[in-house]
Amino acid sequence: MEQLFAYFSSLNPLNLLKSLPGGVAQGILWGIMALGVYVTFRLLDFADLTVDGSFTTGGACTVMLITAGTPAWLSNLLGIEVGTPFPAWLALLIAMLAGLLAGLCTGLLHTRLGIPAILSGILTQIALYSINLRIMGMASNKAVSVDKYNLILSSRSVTPAIFIGLAWAVVLICIMYWYFGTEQGSAIRATGSNPAMSRAQGINIDTMKVIGLAISNAIVALAGGLLAQYQGFADIKMGQGAIVIGLAAVIIGEVLGEALFKKHLNFLGRLAFIILGGVIYYMVVVLVLWLKLNSNDLKLFTAVIVAIFLAVPYLRGKAKNSFASAGKKGAKTDA
Amino acid sequence: MNKKLIALLLALVLVLGLAACGGTTSNEGQSDSEQNSDDASQSYTVGVCQLVQHPALDAATEGFKAALEEKLGSAVTVEIQNAAGDSPTCSTICNTFVSNGYDLIMANATASVQAAASATADIPILGTSVTDYATALDIDNWTGTVGNNISGTSDLAPLDQQAAMIQELFPDAKTVGLLYCSGEPNSAYQAEVITGYLEDAGYTVKVFTFSDSNDVAAVTTSACAESDVIYIPTDNTAASCTEAINNVAIVEKVPIVAGEEGICKGCGVVTLSIDYYDLGYATGEMAYEILVNGADPATMPIEFAPEATKKYNASICETLGITPPEGYVAIEES
Repeated sequence: MEQLFAYFSSLNPLNLLKSLPGGVAQGILWGIMALGVYVTFRLLDFADLTVDGSFTTGGACTVMLITAGTPAWLSNLLGIEVGTPFPAWLALLIAMLAGLLAGLCTGLLHTRLGIPAILSGILTQIALYSINLRIMGMASNKAVSVDKYNLILSSRSVTPAIFIGLAWAVVLICIMYWYFGTEQGSAIRATGSNPAMSRAQGINIDTMKVIGLAISNAIVALAGGLLAQYQGFADIKMGQGAIVIGLAAVIIGEVLGEALFKKHLNFLGRLAFIILGGVIYYMVVVLVLWLKLNSNDLKLFTAVIVAIFLAVPYLRGKAKNSFASAGKKGAKTDA
Repeated sequence: MNKKLIALLLALVLVLGLAACGGTTSNEGQSDSEQNSDDASQSYTVGVCQLVQHPALDAATEGFKAALEEKLGSAVTVEIQNAAGDSPTCSTICNTFVSNGYDLIMANATASVQAAASATADIPILGTSVTDYATALDIDNWTGTVGNNISGTSDLAPLDQQAAMIQELFPDAKTVGLLYCSGEPNSAYQAEVITGYLEDAGYTVKVFTFSDSNDVAAVTTSACAESDVIYIPTDNTAASCTEAINNVAIVEKVPIVAGEEGICKGCGVVTLSIDYYDLGYATGEMAYEILVNGADPATMPIEFAPEATKKYNASICETLGITPPEGYVAIEES
């Protein structure tokens, strides 16, 4: 009993409050990654496991490029001084390109070689492990110091990092909102919701799957590049479990959005709520750390939280089920 | 619907505002703790960020905690957080330590040190279980100190003791060949340091570098021809192709002393192996210096494990007809 009291008195709510901004900043970056997962998981209805690999690819490319310095021809092209570090924004764009190629690879394995969706993702993910090591010069871990390079964001200054992350998220959401409203974007969404009907309408569903996967992994790689700068290093294992965080963010975001807006939740709102989902996921991590629970149980606790979010809409739906309420009514009138 | 949207936006702004406030208060917290550190009879809070559950890292954390609690007793609170192998979680943990204004951060393993270095330039950071800080933190001109707010301990076996070991086992040898990859600054640093010790002991030192794993065999051949003993530092490329090195060295009957156990297992005769509990304990003593005596981490050189275990590779020793002296432990075959 005394121990329990000591435990609770050792928890300082103020500390939790102070820890939140760091969680928010990281959550936004994972939310951006979740937008990529949303493209395959919801729009394309394709469980893509490439993500664990392409997230690291994004981080590795960004760090290696930033630390490599700018070649002379590129400095001239961009009109910057020779010998200055590689511009971080360009490194991110190239990282996106690398992610795009990874998605392309999964797409081609699936559509051209007929490998099942999950397996083709796993194959690319495994292949990316070696490729990521090669990108990082056969090292498992590469540092990029905020003191030495001009980074887009860093955990050194959390508050600006939150706003910069948010700005990237807003721009990305706007682009996605526009693109998935175009003819091609709509064709990708149609492919996900009803492949047979889409094919009958003359949509090349294989091409749409490949495009969707490429876009998704490009977004994931962008998030990886941002996170690597935020935490100050790229690590071969940084993408481990990224798909779980991504799915969790998508589901948490959707459940919240649907609970607040019911059927009025439009596509734009959905995308925004996914970012919020990422933030909430990281709040849970911060909370678990704050509770000083045994960190061996960290993954179990996060799994429980995600399971709750998954279960709530189902249980609510069941409770509101017309048959169930009719049955109850019937029982009342009988009695 | 519109009302809800407005409410939601307001809530979002509130949360962000709160977050922003939290960010600024954290700075105040830091300055508070700095002011307090002048006070002699105060308590300290130290955060430990460990990358993953691993026997060696666990031992280092235990040693660190034991050292601090022995010296400071109840005046110190050591909070241990483990990222469970997720390197991004290291960043979350270190940010928490920083925003709570802890007095010191102990970062266990490379990713933890990088995350801590990224998170703060003010709070002292002590690393441990890191082999080479120059590579880990991307430092070009390595001089033995990291500078800024960072110092710590390295799990590299002490180079002077390694030189002494060469002397103990091969007193009659004249030339020691240093074999490593030219692309690894970490190896070049170790080679430079051990050259000093070896030359003091009266050896002639020759350097043999290979550019990648493709020319390892050729370079090893020339190293074997020109030296009586070969020393390999903790070189990643060498570690990845110990078989190729062994195939040459065994035939030429040149013994190899290795900088770490992995290389020794593949192609070495003997190596020095360090104890992580002692390493953590040494880190804890550094923490005490910083917290209580106000030592500046920027001027504290990276320390090494105080004691190391001498280990030998039984099968290669047998092939070369070398009998290790008393006090050497056989490396377990696995």
